[in-house]
Amino acid sequence: MTRNGIKDQVAIIGADMCKYGERFDKNQYELLVEATEGAFKDAGVTRDDIDAAWLGVFYYFTGLAGCTLEDALRLDGKPITRTENYCASGMDAFRNACFGVASGAYDVALACGVEKLMDEGGSGLPGFRIFGHPVFPMPSAPAMFSMAATRCFSEFGWTKEDLARVAVKNHDNGQYHPKAHFRRPITSDQAMKAPMIADPLGRFDCCAMSDGAAALIITRPELAESYAHADDYILVKSNAISVYTMAPWYWPSYDFTQFPATIKAREMAYKEAEITSPRKEIDLAEVHDCFTITELLNCQDLQFCDRGKAPEELKNGTFNWDGETAVNPSGGLKSFGHPIGSTGCRMITEVTKQLQGRAEGRQVPDAKIGLAHNLGGAFAVCSVTILGQRD
Amino acid sequence: MIGIKAYGAYLPKFLLPRELIGKAWDFPIVPGNKAIANIDEDTITMGVEAGLDCLNGIDPKSIDGVFFASTTPVYTEKDSASLIATVLDLRDNIITVDFTDSLKAGTTAIARAVDTIKANKDVNSLLIIAADTRIPEPSTMWEYGYADGAAALLIAEEETLPISIEDYYSISANVTGPWKRSGTDKFIRTFEPKMDAQFYVTSLTTVISEILKRNNVEPGTVGHAAYNYSNPRLHARVSKLMKFPQGVAQNGMFFQIGDLGTAMPLMLLISAIKRPKPDAKIILAGFGDGADAFLMQIQDKKLVRELSKNHVALGYQKKMTPLSNYNVFIDNKKLLEKDRYTRKSSSVIMWRETDSIYQMYGNKCKKCGAIQYPCMITSCFECKAIEQFEKVKLQLKGTIFTYTLDHLIGGSYYETPIPRCVIDLDGGGRVLLDMTEIEKPEENVKIGMRVELTFRKMHEGAEFHNYYWKCRPERGRN
Repeated sequence: MTRNGIKDQVAIIGADMCKYGERFDKNQYELLVEATEGAFKDAGVTRDDIDAAWLGVFYYFTGLAGCTLEDALRLDGKPITRTENYCASGMDAFRNACFGVASGAYDVALACGVEKLMDEGGSGLPGFRIFGHPVFPMPSAPAMFSMAATRCFSEFGWTKEDLARVAVKNHDNGQYHPKAHFRRPITSDQAMKAPMIADPLGRFDCCAMSDGAAALIITRPELAESYAHADDYILVKSNAISVYTMAPWYWPSYDFTQFPATIKAREMAYKEAEITSPRKEIDLAEVHDCFTITELLNCQDLQFCDRGKAPEELKNGTFNWDGETAVNPSGGLKSFGHPIGSTGCRMITEVTKQLQGRAEGRQVPDAKIGLAHNLGGAFAVCSVTILGQRD
Repeated sequence: MIGIKAYGAYLPKFLLPRELIGKAWDFPIVPGNKAIANIDEDTITMGVEAGLDCLNGIDPKSIDGVFFASTTPVYTEKDSASLIATVLDLRDNIITVDFTDSLKAGTTAIARAVDTIKANKDVNSLLIIAADTRIPEPSTMWEYGYADGAAALLIAEEETLPISIEDYYSISANVTGPWKRSGTDKFIRTFEPKMDAQFYVTSLTTVISEILKRNNVEPGTVGHAAYNYSNPRLHARVSKLMKFPQGVAQNGMFFQIGDLGTAMPLMLLISAIKRPKPDAKIILAGFGDGADAFLMQIQDKKLVRELSKNHVALGYQKKMTPLSNYNVFIDNKKLLEKDRYTRKSSSVIMWRETDSIYQMYGNKCKKCGAIQYPCMITSCFECKAIEQFEKVKLQLKGTIFTYTLDHLIGGSYYETPIPRCVIDLDGGGRVLLDMTEIEKPEENVKIGMRVELTFRKMHEGAEFHNYYWKCRPERGRN
């Protein structure tokens, strides 16, 4: 017997996130409690109902192994696995939890992620000293993505103003989200005049350093009927991950104007979810916008628009919260920051609320199908999750 | 005959105008400039550059050894010659030796090279590399002198050579001045500079007189004379005492680029033979705890002229960039207390990946032909074949495919921005390298820009010197 994915075999019955921001006075355990308590309450379960858990964590001080979650919740020796897959760490935790319940091994699973980026110190992601190579250049995260921006400026004629529009849109959306780190709109001029971080990316082209946690409770649809969201649980339509080289700069024919991992994960996810015209079918997407250039290229790679046309579509309103395909109606990483291990779970939480019609103040009209997407490392790891309403 | 088969030189990009030193400390101004190594350069990296310049067009596998001379080697246990030989991609059954601790180490290495070639039938060519980065104590007059640079000579035994080495003679002498105690002194110390000056003049005139006398050479028939100096007046006194005609002793270097230490006599010789006089006799001498003198003979003026082709360093001092600020010099010498980002390192990986890290080898896929870097990657980026690679030497020049200017180094703003450049190398292979020696990167780094690879110090992770390649705007190296 061949199995083809997990479409409609997993239901999200509870979802929540903590307040994102510079949570200096809270540790990873407290943020996890904040997120999981919200999710438990949402699902109408307690920690005793959880059979197994997966936890996304990237950085050192937030903790290794599954113990960070155990020390937050005391799950009495239940199975907990830490997942690490760059910026897709959180969404990979969710993916593995899905397999746990879809296989029948567990009835109820917790997928969550947390990151205390502020505990690491420094400006920008601090940890490149923990992996890599003794002497090969290890560009900062913005430097990696800006090499794509440089190339797109040259290939497509894109400009800094095109990048600024992404920041303006996402900060505009973020002001309506109570859990966002930044809740103030910005102007294009502000974005374009900000100090350089990695040419041509300035400060507003980059997501900020933030702390955060998010949690999801999942089960199989037939069991979902007996929990709080019996009428509006959310179905997992597909969940794909794609992994490519961590050093794309050595790939002789790579053009730096698309992300092969996004393209591959998109193909897998659309096939399983039976999406054929993504722009029409997908009502909203939480798309990885670690940097403004990342969102533009991802919109193309996810086939929300033609190659080279993302800035034009953005300018025309296609990706606005009330546009044809709402991109980052939550405000995205631009408004939430990117506490790495948590971000995937935060996005899925957001899409869940939108599809349930509970995204107060920022509700995308008539949202039926939503997508969440992470891209991490040097465009190396991409995770795409597609969610839909129950029948 | 045994003689000079080839030469090479390296000068760093930047000059410090002596006026800036005078202004910094309210000193009387001394004219001229001095060459300043960049912050990512030391005697190893400059030695590699001089070696590459010298071996231009010569198979590195044909060289039988490297003699490295310096008073400022980067290690006191662990030699420099073996690392330089590795980067230059020489064989492993060769001789590598460091000559150090004395300013005459450069000339002493040449003499010992001739001895070795004479004595050992398996050794026919030895690469002599001299490099120094002597650090003067700030706010002393020494700052006017000590400069940075490297020079190389390929000493070989062949039937015809451009320049033959006819004779050499040395003396040894013990005097305490100048000195630097190992482990204790950061800067060079002196006791009585006037005695040091007298000692310099006596030592050099002794060895030069003896070599002229025992070869029956009249001073008036010497065509070129090259001997190191740190004071133009003393240089002139030696020239006068030796009765060298006007224009024979090379004397412009101190003014233009400063005192290059062990590399200086070699550099003076190189700049002398740029315009060789026919059949000229050459005197080369080095000073320091004694002295060495050589008598050389130009065998073939045309061959000597041939040698001078395609050298980036020759005449490079005219293209060097004067610093606009004394503090850059102090910073380059790491004399400022500053937080610096240190990466982790592993000497195991550095050794295992010698071919990629030090020698710039890449892989060629036997299935699809794609050339790629680095060597330790096991499967082809293009056709995905696993372990179907053969090692290929990559070229040290190429064109920028894309780049960024990175302001975030290890989560902080140290020494930024760093241009990170994705480079398509000529002949194949794509690499990611930092760019060095770039002025105004915001204006000058571009897609399509031509660059050369240059061997540089990256960091001090794991408490050793970590070297790798960077790129720089094209200087014109072959």
